[in-house]
Amino acid sequence: MTGEQSRESGIGAEDKEDVLLSVRNLQTHFPVTEGILRREVGRVRAVDGVSFALQRGEILGIVGESGSGKTTVAHSILQLQEPTAGEIWFDGNNITALSERELRSFRRRAQLIVQDPNDAFNPRMKVRDAIAEPLLLHGIRDASKRRAIVEDIVERVGLSADDGDRYPHEFSGGEKQRLAIARSLVVNPDLIIADEPTSALDDRVQSDILALLDRIRREHDIAVVFISHNIELVRRFCDRVAVMYLGEIVEKGRTKQVIEDPAHPYTQALVGSVPTLEPGVQSFPSLLTDTVPDPSDPPSGCRFHTRCPSVIAPPELSIEAETWTALAGYRFTLEARELPPEVEEAIEAERTEAIAAIREAFDIPKTTGDDSIDAAMARSMEALASGDTEAAASIASDALPTICETTVPDERQVGARSVRCHLYDDSDGAE
Amino acid sequence: MERKSEDQSTTFEDIDWSRVEPTPKRLTPERLVTGIGLVLLGALFIYDRAGNGVGVVEAWDMAPIEWVILIGSVCILGYVIVPLCIAHEQTRTALAGVLRQPAALAAAVYLGIFVSVAVFGPLVTGYQELRFEHAFHPPLGATISGEPKPIDCLGRETALDFGTACHGSWEYPLGTNERGHPMGYLLVEGARVVLYVMIFTLAFVVPLATVVGVVAGLRGGLVDSVLMSYVDMQLSLPAIIVYIVGYMYWNPSLLLLLVTFGLLSWGGIARLVRSEVLQRREDGYVLVARSLGCSRRYLAKRHIVPNITNTLLPAVFQLFALLIVVEAGVAFLGYHQVELYSWGSTISESINAAVPATMQGRTTHPAYQIWWVSTLPAIALTCTVLSLKILGDRLRDALDPRGGW
Repeated sequence: MTGEQSRESGIGAEDKEDVLLSVRNLQTHFPVTEGILRREVGRVRAVDGVSFALQRGEILGIVGESGSGKTTVAHSILQLQEPTAGEIWFDGNNITALSERELRSFRRRAQLIVQDPNDAFNPRMKVRDAIAEPLLLHGIRDASKRRAIVEDIVERVGLSADDGDRYPHEFSGGEKQRLAIARSLVVNPDLIIADEPTSALDDRVQSDILALLDRIRREHDIAVVFISHNIELVRRFCDRVAVMYLGEIVEKGRTKQVIEDPAHPYTQALVGSVPTLEPGVQSFPSLLTDTVPDPSDPPSGCRFHTRCPSVIAPPELSIEAETWTALAGYRFTLEARELPPEVEEAIEAERTEAIAAIREAFDIPKTTGDDSIDAAMARSMEALASGDTEAAASIASDALPTICETTVPDERQVGARSVRCHLYDDSDGAE
Repeated sequence: MERKSEDQSTTFEDIDWSRVEPTPKRLTPERLVTGIGLVLLGALFIYDRAGNGVGVVEAWDMAPIEWVILIGSVCILGYVIVPLCIAHEQTRTALAGVLRQPAALAAAVYLGIFVSVAVFGPLVTGYQELRFEHAFHPPLGATISGEPKPIDCLGRETALDFGTACHGSWEYPLGTNERGHPMGYLLVEGARVVLYVMIFTLAFVVPLATVVGVVAGLRGGLVDSVLMSYVDMQLSLPAIIVYIVGYMYWNPSLLLLLVTFGLLSWGGIARLVRSEVLQRREDGYVLVARSLGCSRRYLAKRHIVPNITNTLLPAVFQLFALLIVVEAGVAFLGYHQVELYSWGSTISESINAAVPATMQGRTTHPAYQIWWVSTLPAIALTCTVLSLKILGDRLRDALDPRGGW
């Protein structure tokens, strides 16, 4: 599996011929400024150290919740957003180092399909002109040639040639997305970046559009970066997948492997969130909290630790895993200020009753098996019952430390995939 | 899917991209027309300065305002008329859309007549001498009796119990004012002033507002902060004060009025444009165009500006109306260039209002007795402003392919 791995990291010399796009340690931060002097007071780390590689004709899925930085990755690759750091290699050129003039060829060979078909086309422009625009911008001066190409391609995506004379608002969402595919195809690209191309469409149309994109990809050997929040679509459509969380890739590898046997707790949660009718399918514990942390102030250590159902207990602690998860759930729910309604109500009630309600809500046993934790929890719940959530949270976090919040996990090879999680700190890809 | 069998049909696979060169910067028709026009104007200016008059009418000196308006007209020709002719198909569709509504049709017809009168009227009316003996002639169908009365009544005179009444005559079908100027002449002169205001606004103020708004919105960051701070500063500067200060140094002139009011009044539109641009900037088609490597200029021209016309057009027509009324107002108060017979000054001169204006020879008679002198320009002014506003709203609807109609 060495070939697989070197492709994964995108720097294997023997595979250089095959690699079309290689993103190395990409970082895109948005400064938060204040005042007329535009002093930087913070930065949103939308993309923070992302690396992946893509071969010719391959489909890579980038999956994650909204706010995970998927779209920023797309915009950074296309140089719509200047990356803060990192390199993007396209067919042997480092495009982050090229001037706008030298980017010309890249700008033709890499095309974008945007999320919302309703604003994918200029409402004041006939569809024919919109689809011909890439040709015009890239120097096809012969209007009749442009017209012939557009008519041909509009038919090939399943609409009739004279539809070009209509305005975008006269088409349905699915038709517009077909036209968007036609527009991206018209300059014969090698790479299409599709940013949630089907999220605004209903299921049946979604399948049609994916089938069209897949057919076109196969016919013309186009590599596709398919960005989606829908892991089920990624499973059906992509060769490989990268799972993003808060600007980082937490797991990447072959789709089959990553989705059928997810290694990272976040991937497990994503896969577990897809409703399934098959009985006996492996189920995964749900997330501790629902709040996605603020990307301008991401959690320390592993960014996922505040929501991770598999957050790691200190090695010296001898309590049951289930109990630990309940305690961690208590701690991070408090830190996220995301109290369940029954606890909110209980706080109003009498002290002992309130504490009992809190215990029940978080499923915390009276004795955990560790006296110091029992004592700390008692104090914390006391504080919570008296309404001081902040004190309760700080007591809990002091009593329940975890390696996940102190140390940033390295990228580890697990099988043929790479994972960023302390659970795999012992493995080194030798499997 | 099968390929088309026709021989000429091209598909996208047929293009050999290694042989396609980037489009060079070309001489667009817009640039060509504007360039030629400006060169011709320059030649005309030199010829004029060499001592040969170029005034259309014999005694018509080319004042600085005329040169400015000519430059503005050339720019409008190059960057408004020429593109409209090139995109004649869309122009016709939009025009048909506008004219479908009776009110807009009436407004367009009125403005058409107004513009032709303003442009060609002076050729017909020529220069009019002062004829105090013909002052206060009533229009056709009206009479005037008592004071004031024309010294030489050219029309029929009928006897009253006391004195006589003078009837209107074909010599002055719309009557005359207190200097014996025919009202037709005054209306034409006033129309010319209003047309100057419109040309100046369209050629200089509107592009300035749009460019500043688009640049601030598209560039963002420091450029945006600086431009918008400047706009804030400008909005706090009252144009009337600047005009009066300028007035003390350079005497009142239409050019001064247009420069001060015109160049201090675009801030609001620039802000409006900027906020619209900020909304459009993240739209999918803008991202796609940018990912194709288009220039900012192309982006603004093809994608941004056409999509902000919903906001921009009514604001622009509102600005036309505003500046026309401001000019009339300033002239009404008497702070205008006396040689220019603005509609505002014509109204003012007739109504004997107690406004301080030492430079004006005012009639000492009640306004209602010579009602035509104030009523006719007032009607013209109202119709012009009203037509502009109707047409602006209508044009906005007609330009939207989603159809507000």
